[in-house]
Amino acid sequence: MGRSRSLLACLVERARVRPDSVALVMGDERVTYAGLHAMAVAGAGRLAALGLPAGRAVAVRAVKSPRTVASIMACLLAGRPFLLPSAELGEHALEELLARAGCAALLDDDELRELGPHGDAGPGERGHEDVSFMLTTSGSTGVPKIVPLPAAAVDRFTDWAIDRFGLGPGTAVLNYAPLSFDLCLLDVWATLKAGGTVVAVDAARASDGRYLAGLIEAENVAVVQSVPMMYRLLADACRDRPLRGVRHVLMTGDKVSARLLDELPALFPAARLYNVYGCTETNDSFLYEVTGGERSLPIGRPLPGVEALVVDEDGTVLDGPATGELLVRTPFQAAGYLGREGGFGGGRFRSGDVVHRAEDGVFTLVGRNDFQVKVRGTRVNLAEVEHLLLAHEAAVDAAVVGVPDDLAGVRIHAVVRRTAPGALNSLALRDYCRARLPRAAIPTTIQVVDDPLPVTPTGKPDRQTILRNLRNRS
Amino acid sequence: MDPSLAIKQYIVREFLPDIAPEELDDDYDLVDNGVVNSLSLLPIINWLADRYDIPIDDVDISMNDFLSVAAIRRFVSRTARERVPALSEN
Repeated sequence: MGRSRSLLACLVERARVRPDSVALVMGDERVTYAGLHAMAVAGAGRLAALGLPAGRAVAVRAVKSPRTVASIMACLLAGRPFLLPSAELGEHALEELLARAGCAALLDDDELRELGPHGDAGPGERGHEDVSFMLTTSGSTGVPKIVPLPAAAVDRFTDWAIDRFGLGPGTAVLNYAPLSFDLCLLDVWATLKAGGTVVAVDAARASDGRYLAGLIEAENVAVVQSVPMMYRLLADACRDRPLRGVRHVLMTGDKVSARLLDELPALFPAARLYNVYGCTETNDSFLYEVTGGERSLPIGRPLPGVEALVVDEDGTVLDGPATGELLVRTPFQAAGYLGREGGFGGGRFRSGDVVHRAEDGVFTLVGRNDFQVKVRGTRVNLAEVEHLLLAHEAAVDAAVVGVPDDLAGVRIHAVVRRTAPGALNSLALRDYCRARLPRAAIPTTIQVVDDPLPVTPTGKPDRQTILRNLRNRS
Repeated sequence: MDPSLAIKQYIVREFLPDIAPEELDDDYDLVDNGVVNSLSLLPIINWLADRYDIPIDDVDISMNDFLSVAAIRRFVSRTARERVPALSEN
């Protein structure tokens, strides 16, 4: 891989060379490269006026709007590391996250708010050099882990994506994910680096298949990246109405059902279809191109420059065909989590995913550990939701299970035993969760009970019985 | 029946089985509290369309219309094809 091009330098260059081409389509707004650049320069000016110490991070709340994209570009211009907290994060969790990242200011859509002084150092002072984006894991703990990405890693990733999916001036790319997701490094930032047009899905209408299809058609979208759920919605909305303009379809973040796999070629007759595997810590690491006739999708082979190891339970590296945990090192990754000593072991990230490597070197995802589930494309750790519910003063016991769901992937069901009848109800628990959990981690159903929960012989909550009871009731 | 009560009865039956309809405030935030999400919107819309004769294919639908019982009620009064008795009150 040759020397990578700077994201910032390319953005500035686009504004100079093609000032009037459209950078962003968001709702009713169409923002040109010149317009985006002007907003970003103004934002960088406001940031500079705060006189923050060099290297100190700021936060940009990831509301989906042109202002947010411009604010991120302003941070790039100002050379500041920036955290992108989810717009759905509860207030307590947001405050704690900002403090932990050492953020000195919060840009929230149109508002710039200076945060009180505190002792936390910026990423640069903590051994993370030249950090630009700081993403958070979608883990369901109240306060997610912070992943500081070196600017050079983002430069390398965006170059790879531009090259692999033929992004160029005028290429329209759909942005489905919230702006806090790592997926945006491809569908927003690689697109802008290439001079393309980001066509953003309105968060409020993200589950409206007909709206999505209409947007893709009206804006001549050529590249689409999303969790499988969106393709399910599109397939249901577009019976006998293929989306002929789409050239590349990237599926990521979840298993693709055999039924959906069957429907995709008719839905996107002109497109190449891919399964992309990655995570926030390392960004994309595997790619598989669909050839047709697969019943399930492998994650394929490591991307150029990616090292992938399969290890057994003792950490021994396995050769040849093997099943074990996947360890990866990518040119696009963080060195480690912010505020945690030592970084990822040997620079390799333990994915927590069990994979199988076949004779021909193609990898297939086998599963995750039991407590990790995906809810509407967001990773949630059920054990952490359970811990949080248990910490409520009126809860005696709690169990959280993932219930398979056609559309959501998994929906979360919680059973909570209260201290006394009347001490607690599901509305109060929802209020409690809202302040402490990302929205996807708030249980879809909460059952408040007065009897002890079923337990296994070892005294742990018997999740199988809880699931069975749930199925029998409905 | 007062639409607000009918809406509460539906929401409670479908999503909050341990709650009595009168415990659910008109302004309780259904979205922030995870009662309603982008996926549970569809059954709610279908139920409303059915019950209040709303031409959903011709109506602009936004998540903001489902933030609370009060918001849903406003959505119904804006979009229902047949005038719903008691809807114009309060």
